[in-house]
Amino acid sequence: MKKSNRTIAGKRTAVAYLVSAPSLVLIFLIVVFPILYTGYISLTNMNTYHWFDFRIIGLRNYERALLVFDSGFLSALLMTVIWTAVNMALQLIIAFLIANLLNVRHLPLRNVYKTILMFPWAMPGYVSILLWKTGMFNSEFGLLTQWMKELSGLTVRWLQNDLSAFICCTVVNLWLALPFMIMIMDGGLKSIDRSFYESATIDGAGSIRQAVFITLPCLKPIIGPSVMITLFTTFKQFDIIYLMTQQVGSQTGAHIHTIITYAYENAFITNNYGYSSAISIMIFVLLIVFAQTTKRRGKEADA
Amino acid sequence: MRSSPAFHYHTFLEESIMRKALCLLMVFILFLLTGCTGNPDNQGGKSGPVTITIWHDKEAAVIAVLEEAVKALEPEIVVMFEKKAGMTESLKLVGNDKNAAPDMYFFAHDKIGVYAEMGILTPVTDLLGDDALAGYLPLTVKGGTYKGKIYQVPLYFETLLFMYNKKYMAEKDIPATTEQLYAYMQRKTKYGHYGFVEQHSTPYYAAGWIHGFGGSLITDDGVPCLDCAEVKSALTYHKKFVEYMPGETEYATVNTLFTEGMAHATIAGPWFVPTVRAVGIDVGIAPMPIVDETGLPLAPYSGIQGLHVLKVQAQQKKNVILQVLRTLMRPEVSVKLAKVSGCAPAVESCYTLDEVTNDSLIMAMRHTAETAIPMPNIPEMDVMWTVTGNLLTNVNMSGQDVDSAAKAAQKKVLELIEAMK
Repeated sequence: MKKSNRTIAGKRTAVAYLVSAPSLVLIFLIVVFPILYTGYISLTNMNTYHWFDFRIIGLRNYERALLVFDSGFLSALLMTVIWTAVNMALQLIIAFLIANLLNVRHLPLRNVYKTILMFPWAMPGYVSILLWKTGMFNSEFGLLTQWMKELSGLTVRWLQNDLSAFICCTVVNLWLALPFMIMIMDGGLKSIDRSFYESATIDGAGSIRQAVFITLPCLKPIIGPSVMITLFTTFKQFDIIYLMTQQVGSQTGAHIHTIITYAYENAFITNNYGYSSAISIMIFVLLIVFAQTTKRRGKEADA
Repeated sequence: MRSSPAFHYHTFLEESIMRKALCLLMVFILFLLTGCTGNPDNQGGKSGPVTITIWHDKEAAVIAVLEEAVKALEPEIVVMFEKKAGMTESLKLVGNDKNAAPDMYFFAHDKIGVYAEMGILTPVTDLLGDDALAGYLPLTVKGGTYKGKIYQVPLYFETLLFMYNKKYMAEKDIPATTEQLYAYMQRKTKYGHYGFVEQHSTPYYAAGWIHGFGGSLITDDGVPCLDCAEVKSALTYHKKFVEYMPGETEYATVNTLFTEGMAHATIAGPWFVPTVRAVGIDVGIAPMPIVDETGLPLAPYSGIQGLHVLKVQAQQKKNVILQVLRTLMRPEVSVKLAKVSGCAPAVESCYTLDEVTNDSLIMAMRHTAETAIPMPNIPEMDVMWTVTGNLLTNVNMSGQDVDSAAKAAQKKVLELIEAMK
C-alpha cells in the first residue's frame, strides 16, 4: 500500500512538472538562459574583431572590468543609492497621500481622477521622457521656461547643472512611476477592514493615529512586493537619466550618472561583448547583494 | 490488494493528463524548432524565381524608385525591400546566418568598418570588378573603402549645408568667412532672434569646424586626435560662436528656431530643406564660410548611402546579386534617387544632366563635396561619438577649460579603444 501511495505521489509530482513544463521552459529561455549566456560570454574575447571566432579567455574580462569600478564608478554608485532613496521615499509618500484622497468617502468623479492618474502609465516611457524634456524643460520652448520668462525675465537651463538635472529627472521618474504605486496602495486601502477605523474612532484615535497604527501596518505586507519591484526598477534606472541629460547629440552639461549609465558610457559602447558582459555580471551580483540586504533588513524590522 | 475503481479512474486521469501535457510539450518544442529555422524563400533555389532581400531604413519614396528599377529583372529575380528597425544591431546578430541574413543592405557607409572586421561583408569589387566604381565621385568611393577594399556601391550622398532665411539675411550679409558670420551673430542675436544656430555640441556638426582648422577627430588608421593642437584651436575659436547660440544643442530645438523664423541662418542636412520650404520659408543655400585663421572652409562630414553585400549570401547568389547591383547602379536610378531623397547622386556623369545641374540644392552638395570628408567608417568611431560629444558639452556648456577637457577626453577615448579589443 505504501509503495502504491509512493507511486501515486511520484506520478502526481511528475504530472505537476509536466504541466508546468512549458512555463518552466519559457522562464528558462527568457530569464535563466540570458544570464547563463551572459556569464559564458563574459569569459570569452567576443568583440568586433572576434565576432564569430571568439574563444574562452578565462577571467581576463573581469580583471579589466575591475578598472571600471574606479572612483567614477563609486560616485555613480553613491548617486544611484541617493537616486533610489529619494525616489522611493517621494513615491511612497505621494502615492500614499493620493491613494488616501482617492478613498475619501463620497468623493465625486473618483473614476475620472483614477483614469487621469493612470494616464502616464499608458504612455511609452521613451515618449514621456522626451515630452518632458522638450515640452517642459527645453530652454527655448519649454513650458517651465516660458513661465520663468514671464515671471522673472530669466532663461533657465533646467538640465544644465547636476542638482537641477537631478530634480528634473526625479520629477519625470515620479510621473512615470506613481500610477503603479497609487494603484497598489489604492487596492491595499480598499482591502483594510472598515471596522478597524470604526473601533479606533470610538476609542478616540484621530486621523493621523489611525493612519500610523492601522493603515500603514495593514498596507505594509500588501505593498511589500511592489515596493521591492519599484526599488529595483529605480536602482537600475537608465532611460530617464540617459535620455534627459546624456543622449549623444542632446547632452545638456549635467554629469549625473547611475551605475548603469556609467557602465554604458565606459564599457557598452565599446562593442566588446565579453568585457561588457563581465561588467553586467558584476552589476547583477551587486543587485543580488542589494536585494538580499534589503530583504534581510525588512525582516529584521518586522521582527 | 485490488485497487478501487476510483483509484483506476484517478490513474487513468493522471495518465491522460500526462499524455496531453507531453503532447503539449512536444508541440511547444516543435514550435520553437520551426521558429528557429529560416525562410525557405531566402534560399537560392535552382528552379523558379530567385528572391533577393535588401534590408533598409529609408523612406517609402526612395524605395519606390529602387523597386521600380528592379521590376525589369522579374520574373527571374524578385527583389524584396524590407524596412528594418534596429538594422545595425540585427546585422550583428544574423550577419553570418544564411537563413536569416539579407542578401544586401542599404544604409550609410559608416558601419562598414565594424561589419568588415566582423567578417560579414564582401568587397563589392569582388563581384563587380576593380574598375566598376571608376565613374563615381572620389568622396563616395572613399566613404565605402575600408583597409583598401571597397564594400559599398554608393547610390547618393549628403553633406551639411549652410542655409539662410532670405527674409532676414540679405545677399550682402551672407558670410564668406567665419569672422563675417561672427560679426553678423553679434549684430543680430537679440530680442529672441539668433543670427546663426547649429547643433554646436554634436560631434557630427562640430567636425566641420575642426576640419576647418586642418584637424580631425581621428586618423584613418584609428588614432584619436582630441588633444591635437588643431582640434583645441577649433574648439577655442568655436566657443565664441556658441556664446551667441541657444543653450540647447539638440536637433529639434535648433531646427525649430529656424523654421519658426527665430534663427537667420543654420547648418543642416538636405533632409531639412523640404520641412523649411513646407512652412513657407524662402531658404537660400550658400557655400560654407572660410575660417579666417586657416583659409580653409568649414568642411562637414558626409554620409554616403549605398548597397552592401553580405558575404554569406554572395557565396551562393553571386550572379543574381551582380545583376541587381548593375541594375541599381544605372545613372538614371541615381538621378531619380537624388530627386526623391533631396541628396546628391554618387555617379559623376549625372552632373552633366540638366535636371541635376538645375537643382541648386544638389549642386550645393556637389560643391561641398569638394571639401567634405566622409564620416570615418572605422570601428573606433563607435566610441569617438560619445567621447567627442562629452568633450564638446564640457567645453561649450559646462565651461571647462579646453586644454584640460581635451586631455581628459583623449585619455578616455584611448582607454575605450583599448577596451574594444
